[in-house]
Parts: sequence; C-alpha cells; structure tokens
Amino acid sequence: MDVTGLGFGPGALAIIALYLVSMIGVGWLGRRRRQSDSMVDFYLAGRSMGFAVLLLTLYATQYSGNTMFGYTGKSYRIGFEWTVSVLFMFSIIVGYLLFAPRLVAVARKANFITPGDYIRHRFRSPVLTLLATIVMIYALGNYTLAQLKAMGAAVEGITDGQVSSAYGIVALAVIMVIYETLGGMRSVAWTDVIQGVVLLIGFSILLFVVPDLGGGLTRVVETLSVSEPAMVTVPTLETCNTWISFALLLGCGAAIYPQAIQRLYASRNVRVLKRSLAVMAFMPLTTTLIALLCGLTGRVVIPGIEGVDTDQVLARLCALIMAQSTAGYWLVVVIFAAALAALMSTADSALLSISSMFTRDVYQAHFRPHASQAELTRVGKWSSWVVVAVLVVIAIGTEKTLVRLLELKFEVLIQIVPCFFLGLYWERLGSRVVLAGMLTGLAVALGLTAMGMTRVAGFHAGVVGLGLNFAVCAVGTLLTPALDQTEGERGE
Amino acid sequence: MKAEPETHLEEPGALAHESRLTDEPRRHPIVWVVYAMLYAIAIPWYWPEGYRGALIFGLPTWAAVSLAATLALAVWTAFVIHRYWDEEDA
Repeated sequence: MDVTGLGFGPGALAIIALYLVSMIGVGWLGRRRRQSDSMVDFYLAGRSMGFAVLLLTLYATQYSGNTMFGYTGKSYRIGFEWTVSVLFMFSIIVGYLLFAPRLVAVARKANFITPGDYIRHRFRSPVLTLLATIVMIYALGNYTLAQLKAMGAAVEGITDGQVSSAYGIVALAVIMVIYETLGGMRSVAWTDVIQGVVLLIGFSILLFVVPDLGGGLTRVVETLSVSEPAMVTVPTLETCNTWISFALLLGCGAAIYPQAIQRLYASRNVRVLKRSLAVMAFMPLTTTLIALLCGLTGRVVIPGIEGVDTDQVLARLCALIMAQSTAGYWLVVVIFAAALAALMSTADSALLSISSMFTRDVYQAHFRPHASQAELTRVGKWSSWVVVAVLVVIAIGTEKTLVRLLELKFEVLIQIVPCFFLGLYWERLGSRVVLAGMLTGLAVALGLTAMGMTRVAGFHAGVVGLGLNFAVCAVGTLLTPALDQTEGERGE
Repeated sequence: MKAEPETHLEEPGALAHESRLTDEPRRHPIVWVVYAMLYAIAIPWYWPEGYRGALIFGLPTWAAVSLAATLALAVWTAFVIHRYWDEEDA
C-alpha cells in the first residue's frame, strides 16, 4: 500500500496521534479491571465479554486493513467478480455453525484458553497439538506481518513521507504491544470497541462519498460496461469454482482463526455469543460490499493503475476527496483513522493469540507444566514483545501484496479444520489419522503453491490440500477402527 | 482481586462453568438444505456467458441477485442461530 499524496496537516496528525495514544489509556483501564493474575483473565478477559464488546471485537478483528485497501484494490483489478468477497466473509459465520456450539460447550466445561487446549484434550497427542500450534502461529504471524506493513505505509502516506514506513511500523507496534501487555484480552477487546466504531464510521463515509466521485454507482457501472465490459459481466464457470473455493477457504480458515476461537471462549454466556454471531452475519454488507463499490469507482475515476499499486486505489480516491473541500479533508482524516483502527485491531488480536499459544501450548506444555499462573502471564507478556520485535524486523524488509499474503496464510491454517469439524463429532477419529491428514494437506498445499499452481481448476491449493486431508481422515479412520481411538471428550 | 481457578494442563476436566448443549444446527438437515439452495443462487453459475442484465440499484442483475441471496443467507443464519442452537446453563 502506498498512500503518497495524502499528507495531512498538523491538526489532523495531532488528532490521529492523540487517538492512537489514547489506546494506551484504554489498555491501562483494562489493566485496572483485571480480576486475577491468571491466564484466563489475561487471555480471555475472565470469560466476561458482554454483547457489545464481543460483537465489536469480533467485527474489528475479522475486518482488517486488508478489507479496506486490499479488497478495494482487488475489485479495481477484477470488477464485480469480487462480489465473492461479500459471500466468503459471510461464510465465516456458517463455518462457526459447523463446530462452535459444541466447541463452546466443551470449552466452558474444560477451561480451554487456546485452540491447542481443545486439540490436546480431544486427541491426547503432544505431537499433533504442537504441529497444529506451529501452523497456527505461522499463519497468524504472516497475517500480523501484513497488518504491520500496511500500518507503516499508512503512516508514511499521511505524514507525506516525513515519517518513514519503518518508523511508522515501530511506533504503532509499540503502542499496540503496550496496551496489549497492560490488560491482555480485556484491553484488546476494549480498544476493539473504539476501533470497531471508528471502522464502521469510516466505511459509512466511504459509501456516501466515494461513488459520487464517479457520478454515482449507476453511472460508474454504465461507464465500465462500455469501456471494460468484462468488469461487469457474469464470471465464467471456472471462476464460479473459485467462488466455491473462496467460500470454503474463508468459511473454514477464518472460522478457526485462533483469535476468533478465543473470542468464542471469552463470551459471558452462550446467549451473548449467539446474538453477536447473528449480527456478524450481516457485517459483510457494511464492509466488503463498500470496498467493492470503492474499487469499481476507482476504476472509472483513476484508471491505469496496475499490479501491486492497485492496493493504493483507496488512498488515491481519498486524495481526490481531500482536494474537494475542507469537509472532504476531515472525512478522509476519519477514514484513515478507521484504516489504522482496522489494522491495529486485527494485529493486536493476532498478537495476543500468538502469545497465548506460545505460553500455553509450548512453554507450559513442554517446559513448565507446573508453572504458576503469575509466571505464565509474565511469560506471555514478554513473548508478546519478542514476537512483535521479530515481526517488525521482518515487516520492514519484505514486500508482497496484501491479498497474496492473506491467501498464503489460509492455505496452511485450514489444514487444522478436521481437528474441529470432524474431531468434535466423530469419536473414532484418532490423533495419528488426523496428523497424517494434516501433513498430507500441508504437503499438497505448500507443494502446489511452490510449483506456482496456486489454483487447480479454480480451487485454491489449500482447498485441494484440505480435500485430501479430509479424505485421509475418513479413509484412515474407517480402515483402523480399533487401533487409533482416543478417550478425549467429544462434547456432551 | 478475586481468585481464579488454576488451569493446569493435567486437569482438562476442571470445571469453571457448567453448561450443556441441548441443540445445535448440525442436527437439522433442513438447515443445510436451505444453505445449499441459497449458496446455489448466490454463486452465479447459471447465467449465460457474458451476461450483465439491467442495473438494479446500480448493480448488474447477476450481482444484485447474488447479493440478495447473500442477504437471505444472513437472515437464515440469524434464524438458525436463534432456533437451532441451545445450551442450558446447569
């Protein structure tokens, strides 16, 4: 993402800086409300989240900077074909319905803190739990990396290059890790509430302001119909396969995001969780749909952008809005505050989740099984600083488009899906079979990606791997009915 | 600060909350039949090649139908969560 040409004045920069620093204040409030020095309190806010907090933290975590910039760029490149983004973001909620009710029931009974807790409890296999944890940490690290890079670009853009991307990354990462280590999930969720509201306001402004740049949506689409009809006509059958693949990739992958699963664990009760998920089903219409319309408008208003540069389409549209009036200028300030909010709220949640998995599923499980809660919480805080330091160093030295990073993450993450979707319901499914399936899925997904075959007949490499993963689980279980059973709890 | 229960790895059955799942969407075939039907409408495989159609609220017909089906999916999901997911606190 490059946001050159968006230099904000001192007043706007001061307001954004104040907004960002106020997150530390919210983090401090979160710390004051802690109930105990325990992992449950630090990583799950003591399982006390009510409806508004849970909804907004789910929303702010699920919709990232990638939704604003990456998805706008993607719709700029491929047009209405990106309507699939609304469908696949919705599919995440369907993914939850396939396993969340039972997982939540077991989790509350058995005091789970991480997804690894469930895998350990269900399959009793340290190897499987460790492999799944490594896969989840890798995927989340990749995801956080993309957010950090976008943060740096945003800061560089709004300061007109006076603050470099590297300094922007460091500054925002430090703010993030400070409020996160102050109050853990409680601080992250409370900052998510503010960030979620700002994000909603930002998308609302985009909806009302951006299409007007092209004379309204109808005029934009009519113009595209003449100049680039392929942008508005129905996708091919192979592309429809890709729609199915996207629904599977996101519906499975994003639903088993560790930070999403931990929010399921953290709800005050099931009623609160149900209400939050029901509202979340409608949120793609308020976010990804608006990003789609912005990208299409950009195609008409600022044609000729190609490749990686398309991730800056939204920023360039904002530059046009700023140039129109003082009101436009301040609307863009809010939009960029929303963009930073989206980036930080996603990154902080992923970071907290990485910290919890390292502490619980690596440190405690393999090195210090009898460590006190205070020690574990302390290790978790330190690990957050170490992880963010490593990611910041990597973020400053790499380059890729946001959407590609997103796909690479899901390719590996969804190989854990059988642990949840099958493991919660199929008693005969054993750890060795699941491990074999996961390794097969990872080998296929990464092998195809390495060979440049990111899609096969329209289906993502990760989805092909997941298909084989499921097949190995099914065939392996049916062939070894008595040898590989575990005694873990399946639910009721 | 009040004390929280310790969460040792060796005690997966240590209970902080009692809960019991009494119903879930996976048990009801109708839930998934309706999902399959709505997904089949939302994915635009059935239109003629190169089709755009009239603009509905500024959207090509096929995209408007796809988005309407996605909205229907969201409504159905809200209903399913309300109707077919039940857990009693013990």
